[in-house]
Amino acid sequence: MSLYQAEQLKEHGNAHFKRGEYDEAIARYSQAIQQNSNNPLLYTNRANARLKMKLWEDAMDDCMRSISLMAENMKAFYFLGQAQLELHHPNEALSSALMAYDLCSKSSHQTSSAFAITGFVLKCKKAKWDLREKDRVRRRHDLLGELESKLEEDKKREISSIEERKVTGELGSVAASEETEATTETTQQKIEELRNSFAISDPNHLEKREVPEYLVDDISFEIMHDPVVTRHGHSYERATIVEHLKRNPVDPLTREPLSVSDLRPNLALRKACDEFWNNNSGWAFDW
Amino acid sequence: MASSFAVKRLQRELIKLQAQTPPGITLISANDFSEWHLDIRVLDDTNPLYTNQTYRLRFTFSATYPIEPPEVVFLTRAPNGADPPVLNDYPVPMHPHVYSNGIICLDLLDKQAWSPVHNVESVCISLQSMLTGNRKNERPPNDADFVRSNMRRPRDISFLFHDEKV
Repeated sequence: MSLYQAEQLKEHGNAHFKRGEYDEAIARYSQAIQQNSNNPLLYTNRANARLKMKLWEDAMDDCMRSISLMAENMKAFYFLGQAQLELHHPNEALSSALMAYDLCSKSSHQTSSAFAITGFVLKCKKAKWDLREKDRVRRRHDLLGELESKLEEDKKREISSIEERKVTGELGSVAASEETEATTETTQQKIEELRNSFAISDPNHLEKREVPEYLVDDISFEIMHDPVVTRHGHSYERATIVEHLKRNPVDPLTREPLSVSDLRPNLALRKACDEFWNNNSGWAFDW
Repeated sequence: MASSFAVKRLQRELIKLQAQTPPGITLISANDFSEWHLDIRVLDDTNPLYTNQTYRLRFTFSATYPIEPPEVVFLTRAPNGADPPVLNDYPVPMHPHVYSNGIICLDLLDKQAWSPVHNVESVCISLQSMLTGNRKNERPPNDADFVRSNMRRPRDISFLFHDEKV
């Protein structure tokens, strides 16, 4: 009986979730868990709703519980990573994201998530790089670090005053969250601006912000991920050259016949691209 | 209308063009990622056909650029020119492969001969050199008929590239 009730409550929760009523959804999932505490899906569903409500720690708890019930749990790792990233733990977030990607690529019916998870992996890499970059820049520029903390302090003060005005009823909750978001964004922009100014004044730093031509695909003009080489020794990004060959099966440079099966992975260049991504993903991500 | 793939690639091209263009090539306008205007001049002063002339090119990009070629024509009228124009706002260079309405018959702009490693700059350079090498003060043989009767877009026309001498 309780399993049936749990299933009913879960369905109600899902319906609320779909309508964007996340607090209602959380309440239903919690009731369902009281009826059946052994269903990992109830925890991942509640985690997803808690992510929407920005209840990061609670969402993490749910993911851990779900994983303890079912280890090969792509969704739980994906949600866990999102909460960890929000709590500024990019290293942990990246390992969760890679776990999710791994499970996703193994599973046949969840391939539709692959694209989103790939994007999330890149986002974690960028966050990890940002954290390292911040440390590095701070070491080199104590002044910059100090200014950044001041901006962060200002932001915190601003946000707590918004919270106060929300408590006294001076601000509605929608207006308060809008103002909080605006403050966070402004602070981020100021910090970005500040870092740029410092970077410009640092000649060593500027030199590193160039992408070597040999890492760039001549068709998409993007830094390559998976370069393949033609018979003539020229390399392209696999996805773009395949797109060209579908329409016109000739070598783009020599116009000689060329088919997808003639392409070979360029492993050394791929390593060079990986290394470049690892060292520069912070800005190369938006390049 | 360009896809995000085309937009990204065109953004990169634009950054390069804004930083530097080869001699005789000037970027006039690139307000969006569907249509750009560029001016070209022939740098060879010994060729009397093109001395002191500037020609305006219009590039139109589809969503499949650079997998498919851009449409490239010599503009004859300014976008806000007099209507009807008394004279051409811009000259169209004399060449046996350039119709007097600005339509260009050049193999690399054709779907079959186009290669995605070409770009706006390399097309401009090819057109410059196509003009530089020409001494014939001529239009294509069927120019009058073609200009009167053609209602098609250049990209829908299959030219015959029979005359490789010019």
